[in-house]
Amino acid sequence: MAIKAFSAEWADQLKDEVNKSSVYKAAAKGWKWTVGLVVEAEPDKHFPEARGLVMDLFDGEARDIKVGAAADAQKCDFVITAPYSRWKQVAKLELDATKGMLQGKLKLKGDLPTIVRYTKASQELTMCTTRFQTEWPDES
Amino acid sequence: MARRKLTAEAAKNESLLPSGERARERGVEERHLVAYASKEPSAFAEMLGGLIEANVRAHPDKRKDFDALIARVGIWVTDIDEGVTLVFDAGRLTVYNGLEPRRTITIRAEAETVMSLSNLKIGILGLPVYYDEVGRGVASKLVLGRLKIDGLLPNIATLNRVTRIFSVH
Repeated sequence: MAIKAFSAEWADQLKDEVNKSSVYKAAAKGWKWTVGLVVEAEPDKHFPEARGLVMDLFDGEARDIKVGAAADAQKCDFVITAPYSRWKQVAKLELDATKGMLQGKLKLKGDLPTIVRYTKASQELTMCTTRFQTEWPDES
Repeated sequence: MARRKLTAEAAKNESLLPSGERARERGVEERHLVAYASKEPSAFAEMLGGLIEANVRAHPDKRKDFDALIARVGIWVTDIDEGVTLVFDAGRLTVYNGLEPRRTITIRAEAETVMSLSNLKIGILGLPVYYDEVGRGVASKLVLGRLKIDGLLPNIATLNRVTRIFSVH
């Protein structure tokens, strides 16, 4: 059954997928920072309010992933910001997150050398969002 | 992140200023190691500039390389059709959007490979490591022509120095 994008259930499912991934576990060994994903509102795409995903990731494990206000996500050590439709493109593998950052389609805040060191982990994190069905508000 | 945007003209004038090393010797406060030639640097330019500045500030060995390097390095990302020119001038770097003329080295590769270059480990004698997983990936792309480096042969020492500055390890 499809889960509503960026809902609390979606965040729980993502956490499960991350913790099931041996690739992520190996690639994110040593990671000890929080990551906030800010999903900017796009009312015309039936995503009327910005949301924040706060990811407590530690040493290859997702300790917690929560959906809340964008402001909560902005307090994380690393913050990636993009409008709803961009995140949808990333989750559908239509946009590579690395390319998106180099093109400024996804805006990154945080220590660059650290995030570059964990490129493989961030790619696997993206793959985890594709391993369960998502209900996109502009498609339902 | 300390950042300064310069026009091309201002960047030229900047070359009249003392280098980073000389400035340090004179006790001048260093705030800007990296400048941007365009008033609106591309996301890629800002990312590379930011990455190099963070690396150089955090690692004295990279700082030594940065202070010694004089070169014009082009990086073109083939799958996003965007690039930058990094003009290293003995302790200062100016980042230009796009490819500028008179480049010492030009690297052309896909985004993922460019990121791999910054993930190359540095081994003995300060040489990039090409025998681990990341290094093998980079080497195979070079062999397969998916990573092209114009000006490689006469500038291997410069390329190694750029790689050391660029590497996050």
